[in-house]
Amino acid sequence: MANELVNVGVAQLKIGTSEQMLRTILGSCVGICIYDRNKKIGGMAHILLPEALGSNQIEKYADTAIPALINLLLKQGCKKEFMSAKIAGGASMFKFKISTSLGQIGERNIEVSKDILKKAGIALLCEDTGGSTGRVIDFFLNDGHLKVKAGGVEQNYYKV
Amino acid sequence: MQEQIKQRLENIISTMTQLPSIPDVVSRIINMVNDPNVDFKAVADEIAKDQSLTTNILKLCNSAYFSKGKEIVSVDRAIVTLGLKEIKDIVVLVTCRNVLDKPILGYDLAAGEMWTHNLTVAILAKKMAMDIKRKDLADIVFTGGIIHDVGKTVLALYVANTFKDIMKVTQEKAVTFIDAEKDVMGFNHQDIGLKILEKWKFPDSLKAVVAYHHNPENSPKEFYKAVSIVHVANIITLMAGVGIGGDGLYHALNPDAVKETGISDADLEKYYSIVPEIVKQAKQI
Repeated sequence: MANELVNVGVAQLKIGTSEQMLRTILGSCVGICIYDRNKKIGGMAHILLPEALGSNQIEKYADTAIPALINLLLKQGCKKEFMSAKIAGGASMFKFKISTSLGQIGERNIEVSKDILKKAGIALLCEDTGGSTGRVIDFFLNDGHLKVKAGGVEQNYYKV
Repeated sequence: MQEQIKQRLENIISTMTQLPSIPDVVSRIINMVNDPNVDFKAVADEIAKDQSLTTNILKLCNSAYFSKGKEIVSVDRAIVTLGLKEIKDIVVLVTCRNVLDKPILGYDLAAGEMWTHNLTVAILAKKMAMDIKRKDLADIVFTGGIIHDVGKTVLALYVANTFKDIMKVTQEKAVTFIDAEKDVMGFNHQDIGLKILEKWKFPDSLKAVVAYHHNPENSPKEFYKAVSIVHVANIITLMAGVGIGGDGLYHALNPDAVKETGISDADLEKYYSIVPEIVKQAKQI
């Protein structure tokens, strides 16, 4: 199974086809992976913060990046009823004064990402979120499975 | 095995021969630039002795991050246009790259990932220093940012063998990765970094940044602000996932160090939000 590796950088959004594998590296950011199991097309958004609050950098924020990702997929002929989502990331610093807003970014990113997916009517099938680990995630577009590598341990999520 | 590793590391530190090397010209230039009575021409002459260093410096002077518009074709011109401190930063960048852009296996960092991380921390820290009107610290935090994790280049091999033990200690004792490194191996990457800087004959200000960037509370008072700035810039860069490795976010943000920098909570979040733009700048270097 040869998958062409496509790197998705921080605050980037990319879609790809079945022969590709999208990879990103996450700290407190959240990676949102959406797959159309019928078309075998998927995409990933690597968001840094929950809310755009009027910013025009739509790829950076969960509330603007997720709808943009869904629209891109719809333009490729994907249908919402065949789409499903997986999310990963949203880690927090191990020791942090939780009262600062920066300390809550991971949690807020997870919460808002889920909320936006729900509003868009996309089913969230699994999440690998929270804790203090960094994550390398590989999203395979031939079958939509997600591999999460965190602290030397690999976990695969196959449900699509 | 842990005892053997402690022994090996003690041996590496005491003999210093297995620590990475950079050309002697780097410490000579840093120390010349730190001398308030330095002669511009003497620095230019020192650089000119090394042809490949000269070529690489000129290339960086004309890169998007450092360029002031006009093309620079000589070291003399570069010093006049960018200033001595900026030239010193460029000398460190050029000469340390070979040591710092390798894969850092024990920490799960691929080739170039630590280098991008270091550059991002350097640029972010310099921006913070300028924003809080401490231009005098800009070059220390920039150079310090470039080299802050240099100890990982040596420690990585041993972390590869003890990673599970280190993680176990973080869980069982609820301590940070850096403290667990010390617990398991007798040394953490700050200790090893300090030894490397001793070998390189770097000044005390940079030694402080390398030795205390995770523990700014232990920094000598005179360097506390510079160390605190790099500490904050490093944590923000890691949170954004840039150069985050197997140690993840098993670190701490020191609230007193944040207070020392004078950066507000809202501004911390603002710096975090511009990391993607900083990474773009880093990749142009």
